[in-house]
Amino acid sequence: MEIFLQALASAMTPMAIASIGLGALIGLIFGSIPGLTFTVALALALPITFSMDPVPAIGLLLGTYIGGMTGGSVSAILLGIPGTPSAAATVLDGHPMTKQGNASIALGTAVIVSVFGGVFSLIVMIVSVDLVSRVAISFGPAEIFALVLFGLSTICGLCGGSLIKGLISGALGLMIMTIGIDTIDGVQRMTFGSVNMMQGVNLLVAMIGLFAVPFIIEAFAVKTSMPEKSQRISRVKAELPSIGLLGRNLWLMIKCSVMGTGIGAIPGTGGAIASFLAYDHAKRFSKKPESFGKGNIEGVVAPETANNAVTGGTLIPLLSLGIPGDPATAIVLAGLMIHGITPGPALFMNHAGEVYGMYVAVVLAYLWVLGLQLMGIRLFVHVLKIPRELLAVAVLVLCAIGAFSIRNSVFDIYAMGAIGVAAYVLVSFRVPITPIILGMVLGPTLENEFRTAMMLSMGDPEIFYSSPTVLIFFSLALLVIGLQAVSEFKAKKQPKNEVKADA
Amino acid sequence: MTNSAKDVALSLSLLALSAVWTWLVIDTIPTGWGHGDIGPRAFPMVLGIILGGLCILLLIRTYLLGRTPAGKAGTGDVDAIEEASSERWGSMILVAVEISAYGFLLQKLGFLIATPILILFVLVIHLRLRSWKTILGMTLGMTLGCWLFFEKLLGIYLANGSWFNIG
Repeated sequence: MEIFLQALASAMTPMAIASIGLGALIGLIFGSIPGLTFTVALALALPITFSMDPVPAIGLLLGTYIGGMTGGSVSAILLGIPGTPSAAATVLDGHPMTKQGNASIALGTAVIVSVFGGVFSLIVMIVSVDLVSRVAISFGPAEIFALVLFGLSTICGLCGGSLIKGLISGALGLMIMTIGIDTIDGVQRMTFGSVNMMQGVNLLVAMIGLFAVPFIIEAFAVKTSMPEKSQRISRVKAELPSIGLLGRNLWLMIKCSVMGTGIGAIPGTGGAIASFLAYDHAKRFSKKPESFGKGNIEGVVAPETANNAVTGGTLIPLLSLGIPGDPATAIVLAGLMIHGITPGPALFMNHAGEVYGMYVAVVLAYLWVLGLQLMGIRLFVHVLKIPRELLAVAVLVLCAIGAFSIRNSVFDIYAMGAIGVAAYVLVSFRVPITPIILGMVLGPTLENEFRTAMMLSMGDPEIFYSSPTVLIFFSLALLVIGLQAVSEFKAKKQPKNEVKADA
Repeated sequence: MTNSAKDVALSLSLLALSAVWTWLVIDTIPTGWGHGDIGPRAFPMVLGIILGGLCILLLIRTYLLGRTPAGKAGTGDVDAIEEASSERWGSMILVAVEISAYGFLLQKLGFLIATPILILFVLVIHLRLRSWKTILGMTLGMTLGCWLFFEKLLGIYLANGSWFNIG
């Protein structure tokens, strides 16, 4: 208790509170601009922490991480362009809500459920760090492959009208991610000898192209062909979600928090998988599944709770075993080590004060995020007052900056344009583009874990049916596909029955 | 173009893509070494074949059975395009040219010269805006605002030109 009080005192100094707030602000800004990720923000924030005390320094990094994870939802909801891959699932219902004039409710809900997911995962982390880290570390390549395959099965729920077109879209996403140098054998794949192609297609560049470029083309086309239709995106209201709305979704928030924390604890997974799985779960168990994709608030609650619950989950293997789950937590790990805090089993014995200080810093970071975003909502929604075509010009420049700054490469701007134009053509042929993103997010992990598992087993496929965890995930994937097939079959049968009844 | 015709065109073009992709994969990527090494060729090759199979399924479903999948782009996608018009395709080509030109100018002239050129072109030529207040405000505001915010405040590198460098 004494150590905890000391940690509380060190985390509540004006310096610590201000540095956590600064981190949250930097994270929010970077997270909300497509292309500028919170990983970049963390890399920029790391040198600032060198001269600081451990708790404010780690607080700054954690604030940046948490702010970035939450900030991705702002552009996803307002413009339909996710700021981070974790926010890609939020676009599905968040942006339709904006079009209905409910942007502020979507934004308010997103930030509140994000805080809920984050704090929930922190509590789970504190209570069960030992147990969860032991379970999570038992996930080998075969288990992660099965989990990712289960994640891919959610494509079925994102297909819209046609399962075949959704699967085509998912296959295209998986194919795009095989371009570049193969990470296991170091062999060039489909690079045509180009140095730029060797680094492959960056996920963020593709995401900007897929979501932003079709928006820009459509905004310009409407302005030039039908000037009378060119107008603002929606009416602007600055309302916050009611307590009743949050209360009705409490059970969904708890379920998605558990899902996010569990997935976050498995190294190499991350927020994008968690948010898509949570979205699919919410849709499948909703009373109104047909309203998903048209602005259902549950479609914002589920992914935003899950992707923020990942933050606590990733800290479990980071603190207890010293294993970072993603590039962002790797930078947090670097920050810890720079300040003499070496994560691992002995961390709680040697640095209990700093660890408790970090817990307090996470709570403070979420409070900062809540305050900044709730205040900012009144400001953010005014973006929607700008005429759509002028907003598209600004989006064009910002997205080009975002794409360029990822690797300081003009090639990424060309790649963004090419992918965006291809996405526009696909949308005009009524092919859903969300499965492309899912394929791109999960593709590299799927391939690498499958190949690693096969190498470990010397080519024996038994590795995929000897583990109960693998079998559970395979069964869940089959269940999801089966349920989708049954619901499609029922949907096709219904109109026929209606025709018969009319006759 | 009807929905059926669109689906036939889509499946045939993607079928051609999958055939070329699979052929290139087999021709240029080596196989694994055996003993559990799946190799770098397996995944792209299987994906190419899967894409081809799905396109054939779509073709059979649309062309032979006369069934057209529901006409919706899918949940939550960027605005499903209601009708393809020549203006839309024209706008798409123009945006592709603008992005390519911006990339080229960024490399040669740097951010501070390339950005106002792009914005001026888009506003005056593409969108045919005639309000000089809006044009000047957008051009100077976006260029200087982004430069100050990203390069000066956040320390993010924005391109310097190889022909001119005023950043």
